[in-house]
Amino acid sequence: MSAIAIHNVSKRFGEHQAVNGVSLTVPEGSIYGFIGPNGSGKTTTIRMIMNILIPDSGDISVLGQPRTANVRDDVGYLPEERGLYKKMTVRRVLRYYGQLKGKPVAEIDVAIKDWLGRLQLADWADKKVETLSKGMAQKVQFIAAVVSRPKLLILDEPFSGLDPVNAEALKDAVLEMRNRGTTIVFSTHDMNAAERMCERIFMIFKGNKVLDGTLDEIQKAYAHDTARVRVTGGAATLAGLPGVESINDHGNFQDVRLKGDPQAFLQQLVQRAAVQQFEITKPSLHDIFVRIARPTEE
Amino acid sequence: MSRIFTIAQSEFLTLVKTKAFIISIILMPVLMVGLIFFMSFAERHVDVETRKFAVIDRTGTLFESIRAAATEHNQKTMTDGTRTGPEFVPSLIDVGGRAADDIKVELSEAVRKKDLFAFVEVPADVITSAAKPPDIAYYTETTSYEPLPTWLRTTLNAEITKRRFDSAGIDQALIARLNTRTDVTTFGLMARASDGTVAEAKEVDEVARLFLPMFFLILMFMAVMTVATQLLNAIIEEKMSKISEVLLGSVTPFQLLMGKLLGVVCVSLLLALVYFSGGLYAIFSSGRWDLLNPALIAWFVVFLICATLMYGSIFLALGSACSDLKDAQSMMQPAMLLIMLAYMGSFIVIRNPDSSIAVGMSFFPTMTPFSMMLRMAMPPGPPMWQAVLSVVVLILATAGTVWAGARIFRVGILMQGKAPTLPELLKWIRA
Repeated sequence: MSAIAIHNVSKRFGEHQAVNGVSLTVPEGSIYGFIGPNGSGKTTTIRMIMNILIPDSGDISVLGQPRTANVRDDVGYLPEERGLYKKMTVRRVLRYYGQLKGKPVAEIDVAIKDWLGRLQLADWADKKVETLSKGMAQKVQFIAAVVSRPKLLILDEPFSGLDPVNAEALKDAVLEMRNRGTTIVFSTHDMNAAERMCERIFMIFKGNKVLDGTLDEIQKAYAHDTARVRVTGGAATLAGLPGVESINDHGNFQDVRLKGDPQAFLQQLVQRAAVQQFEITKPSLHDIFVRIARPTEE
Repeated sequence: MSRIFTIAQSEFLTLVKTKAFIISIILMPVLMVGLIFFMSFAERHVDVETRKFAVIDRTGTLFESIRAAATEHNQKTMTDGTRTGPEFVPSLIDVGGRAADDIKVELSEAVRKKDLFAFVEVPADVITSAAKPPDIAYYTETTSYEPLPTWLRTTLNAEITKRRFDSAGIDQALIARLNTRTDVTTFGLMARASDGTVAEAKEVDEVARLFLPMFFLILMFMAVMTVATQLLNAIIEEKMSKISEVLLGSVTPFQLLMGKLLGVVCVSLLLALVYFSGGLYAIFSSGRWDLLNPALIAWFVVFLICATLMYGSIFLALGSACSDLKDAQSMMQPAMLLIMLAYMGSFIVIRNPDSSIAVGMSFFPTMTPFSMMLRMAMPPGPPMWQAVLSVVVLILATAGTVWAGARIFRVGILMQGKAPTLPELLKWIRA
C-alpha cells in the first residue's frame, strides 16, 4: 500500500492554475522530498493531501483511504507558516494539538517529554510560547506535528530559517521518525538536505510535475556532461574554451557543463594550465533545480 | 465529537483566563456591591461638620426663622448624642451703614480664613415683590457642597411662602389640606381560590416591575458582548499567527466552529451562573423569595444559549473573513449595530411590553433574546403561544446563522489579504 497516491490532480485559483494534472505515489516508509521554486504549487499540493483544499479534479488517497478526513488522526502536519498560541505554555499547546488528533493525554505527555528532551527544550515545557526564540518555536511546532505518533508526517519547509545547529537537530528528528516507521514527505529549498535525506524526490514547477524518482534516477537523466575542475587561474582560464557550455564558479573549483567529449576537453585544458583536479561528476540536485527553474530557460 | 469538546474546552479555558473576563465576572459585582456599601457609609458618616454661615438679612425679619429652623435641624440630626448630619450655625450680620460690597469682601475673607463656611444675602423685597422676586445669593468657597444651599432653599422658600400667605390673609394649613394628593397604587389581579376564599391582589412593586427585567436585559447584553468580541479576537489571532492551518490539519472547519461556539456557550452560562448566584444571595438576604421564578430562569437560559450561538457564529464568520484587526474593526460594525439595536429596542419594550412594536421586535430573531426575555419578565407576560413561537423562530434562525457562518468560516479561515465585501461573503455562503 502506498502512503499517498495522487492521480491526475488539478487545482485552480481564479485565473491561476496552481497544480496541473499531477500524479504521484509515495511508498510507505520512505522519505519523499518535494522541491520547486516559490509559488510552483508545493504548498497547494500539500494542502490538498491534507484535505484542507479540495482538488478541482483528480483523486487523492492517503494511507489507503480516499478521503483524508478519515485518516487525519494518523497524519502529522507542519504547515509552512508556523502557528502556536503565544499565551499558552509549550506543554499546553502540544497537549492541545495532540488531543485534536484524538490521542489520550497520558500518551501525549509521554511523547512530549521524550521529544522536548530530544530537542533540548526540556526546560521550556512550562514557559509561554511567546518567550521562545524563533528556532525553539519551530522545534516546538515540529513536536506538535509528531506527538500523536503519526503514520504519515508532512512537513512544509521544516528547515527554513533555522541556524545550522537547530537545522541539524531537526534533520536528526526527521530521520528518527523514519526509523520508527513513519512515512515522511517534506518540501524544502535546501537541496543539500533533500539530496542527503530523501529516497525519492518530486519536483513541481509552474504546477506541473517535472521530476519524480530516486536521486540516482534523476541524476542519471541529467548526468554525463558535468566536470568538476580545479586549475590554476580558476574560472578565467576556463572561459572561452571550446566545448564549455556553462561554468558554475564555486571559487576554489568550478563545475563545468560540457557539450562534447570530456576527454577531449581535458586534453585542451592540460595544454593551457596546470590541472589540480578533474572529475566527471553527477550534477547536483541544486544544478538540476536551477537548470529547470532558471527563468531564461523557459 | 470528542474533537469538538477538546476545542470547546481549550476555548473556554483561554477565554475565562483573559483579564477582561476576570474583570467582568468578578470585579464588576464586587465593584457594584462595594460602591453601594461605600455610598451608604459615606451618607452616614462623612458629613457631620459644623457649618457656620453668615446671613445678610435685608428683609430684617427672616433671620429669626432661619435660626429657629437651624436649631430644629441640628436637633433632628443628633441621635443618642451622635451627629448623623451637618450642624448649621447661622449668624446675623449687622450691616450698619456700610456699602454692600465692603461687607461681602470682608465676609469672603472670613470664608477664606475658614472662620466661616459660607454667607447668604437675602434681598429686601424677596417676600413683597409682586413680580418674580430676586434670587437669594449664596457665597462659598466649596461650591460642590450641596446640603447647606439645599437646606437654605427649602427652609427659606417655606418661610417666605408662609409669610406671603399670611400677609394675604389666607390660612396656609387649609390650602395644604385641600391640596392633599391622592396616590394610585398598582395591584395585580384578584382570584377566587378553589375553597372559595378570595386571594388578595398583590401590590406591584418597582423591584419586580423594573429591576428584574433590567437584570435579565443587562446580563444578556453583557454575555453577548463578552462572547462576541472575544470570539472575534481569538479567531483573528489564530488567523494572524497561522494557527488555523495547523488546526485544520486535524479537524474540519465545521468541528472548529462548533467547538468554539460550544466553548463560548459554556462561558455565557458561567457568567449567568455567577450573576444568578449573586441575585440569589440578594433574594436570600432581602427575603424577597417572591422574586425567584425558576420558569423565567429556564427561559433565560434558552434565550442566552440561542443568542450566544447566533451572535457567536456571526462574529466567527466575520472574523474568519478578516486578516487583521483593522479589517475586523470595520467588519464588525454592522454586527455590533445588530446587538445595539436589540439592546436599545429593549427600552421601547420596557415602556410598553404589549405594544405592536414590542411584539414585532420579540419575533425578530436578533432581538428575540432581548425583547421577548423582557416581556416575559414583566407581568403579565406575553401569551404562551407568542413565547413558544418566538423561541421556535429563534432556534430556526440560530441554526440558519450557524450554518451560514460555517460556510463563510470554511472559506474565510484560509484566506489571506483583503477582507471580502458583503456580496463576496454571500457568494461564499452559496458556494
